[in-house]
Amino acid sequence: MQEETTIKERIFERYHIPMPIYNVIEYIAGWARKYSIWPIHFVTGCCSPEFMQVSGSRFDMERLGILPFASVRQCDCIMVVGVVSRKMAMRVKYLYEQMGEPKYVVSVGACPTGKGPFYDSYATVKVDEVVPVDVYIPGCPPRPEAIIHGMMILQEKIRKEVKVGARVG
Amino acid sequence: MSEPEIKPDIMRISWGPQHPMSGQTRILLDVDGEIVHRLIADLGFTHRGIEKILENRTFMKGIIPIERMVMVDTANIGLGYVLAIEEALGVEVPERANWIRSMICEMARINSHLYAFGLQAEATGYFPAVFLWTTVDREVLLDLFERLTGARWSYNFFLPGGVNADLPEGFQDKVIEGIQYLRGRFAQYWDAMVENAIFEMRCEGVAVLTREDALRLGATGPVLRGSGVDMDVRRDEPYAAYGDLNFKVITETAGDSMARLKVRFHEIGQSLDMIEQVANEVPGGPVRTRAPLFARAKPGEALSRVETARGELGIHMFTDGGMNPYRVKINSPTLRNMYVFERLAELDEVLIADVPVVINSIDPWYLDSDR
Amino acid sequence: MPESAEEALIEALRAEHLDLVEEARVIRPKRVAILARREGFLDLARALRDEHGFLHPVSAGAVDYPKEYRIQMIYYLMNPSSRFMLTLRVDLPRDEASLPSMTRIWEAMSFHEREAKEMFGIDFEGHPNMVPLLLPPDWRGGYPLRKDFEGEGAEP
Repeated sequence: MQEETTIKERIFERYHIPMPIYNVIEYIAGWARKYSIWPIHFVTGCCSPEFMQVSGSRFDMERLGILPFASVRQCDCIMVVGVVSRKMAMRVKYLYEQMGEPKYVVSVGACPTGKGPFYDSYATVKVDEVVPVDVYIPGCPPRPEAIIHGMMILQEKIRKEVKVGARVG
Repeated sequence: MSEPEIKPDIMRISWGPQHPMSGQTRILLDVDGEIVHRLIADLGFTHRGIEKILENRTFMKGIIPIERMVMVDTANIGLGYVLAIEEALGVEVPERANWIRSMICEMARINSHLYAFGLQAEATGYFPAVFLWTTVDREVLLDLFERLTGARWSYNFFLPGGVNADLPEGFQDKVIEGIQYLRGRFAQYWDAMVENAIFEMRCEGVAVLTREDALRLGATGPVLRGSGVDMDVRRDEPYAAYGDLNFKVITETAGDSMARLKVRFHEIGQSLDMIEQVANEVPGGPVRTRAPLFARAKPGEALSRVETARGELGIHMFTDGGMNPYRVKINSPTLRNMYVFERLAELDEVLIADVPVVINSIDPWYLDSDR
Repeated sequence: MPESAEEALIEALRAEHLDLVEEARVIRPKRVAILARREGFLDLARALRDEHGFLHPVSAGAVDYPKEYRIQMIYYLMNPSSRFMLTLRVDLPRDEASLPSMTRIWEAMSFHEREAKEMFGIDFEGHPNMVPLLLPPDWRGGYPLRKDFEGEGAEP
């Protein structure tokens, strides 16, 4: 079994770039990646109007680089906005598998986090039973400021990633 | 999957559950070239089982899940449920509360029609910016809701016996300011959008629904009124303060997508007039008669009908003497309109490029049809 | 005493179809409730559509009464000219609930009968497209809206 090595170690071994310069490169790469998260346009529930207000003109989400996009192969984030029913849970999984790495999942609202007001329903599913979640944003519906704050937490998470992308080695 | 069979020379396209329009549903198009031969709607992707969970909630607590049925139009749905509770418990509502209820319902109706209008413009592919303009206009209304109730979308403001709180100081002036701003915007929308040659080419003559078909297939709301049928619950069985407000029921006779859009447009104008009338003439008095928090209803039933932005919503509540309702049957407007949508491909010629425009002229909200 | 239009409708129905109508009453102005018998239900529905003008289908649903061993199926209908809303009800035995499908008469009842089948287990004979409407196609958990439904059903 090969061990996983980071890109940093490989480049260090091959090109003998000193660590401080590589840290700067990594910082710039992290800055570039965190300001271009493209979530997929996937609103399953009642938080959807709030999501649209966030991408509207007043609480503009696009100034952070977040552009909701329709095609799943070109996105790198699923924002699960709203309640996930049983019929939909399979499709969330398909979409997650179809996205290219690196990929993130944000659970927006109280419903995908913990079923929300429908906690005793036979037809709802928590989204972390189906896909691994990076950021949870509570609220019913969360205020636009809360959604932007959640996306900024995701940005911090991306910036701090040491191992970029798929496994190498 | 559980779908009908395809004929051999037809291609089946799945407009999958993830699509750039609003809501989650799967629509199967059977196409032959550009012409759509059949539309099959596969609903249920947002089914939450609201009817079952309402049996586990007391009457007051049930207002919370039911308002989440349609998020852009929560006031009308919440009002339908509260009217059913009041009929079951026998609670009277003071007059000022009725007027405030009507005002909030009309503001929610404008909110929803703006959303529908923005989506239909975006569906043509040519005017996606219009959707962003409408988000700014909705912010005006959402600020008014927040000033009054504290929440933007789902405020749970209607309670059995009245409304939760009285209008704050200066609220009526803010409302009139907002209405004057919105009136200016709608004049601009009419000139820029509705009387635009390209928009007319995309929407006129598309998916015509005749009067007989609209009645036979059970259409409701602007879909029914766009085909010339003059039915509106606010005038036929007046609830809240609609018996005292002056408004006209808007109908158009063409029955195509443009007619349905024009019905919504003129309904926004009527709603603005109604809100102004309430802001100027609302009577004084209490806003709530106290109903007990955990009330028990006598065994019986209550059927309430309200006119939401999408059509007629019916809440049929059966009570058995306990603190929870025994059964709540929700007659959803979008479920009725989705059946009409399925039949439109057989009634009139629909091309693939017309399908987004047709869907958004029906204005479905799938959380409402799936409950 | 002048009869209201709702009472006139009930009298006309009783006069023509005495054996089909079990109970009929006026709930409120413009709301009429009819409890019909299961035999001949199709004929009564056809008469309501053709002779009394209830062309506009609204909805259909059911209520489960386990203690009385019955499920009541309700059809909501509307008359566009007189604006009456009619709730047409029929009681079905709980273990073998079956009814001829009303899609023969009001086509738009198709979606509502599909939902009643998957939520309550009522069989509709002659329905053109009886597939589940809201639940996943591989649902194995039972009928959710019945009162004795327990648990959460099939896995996602």
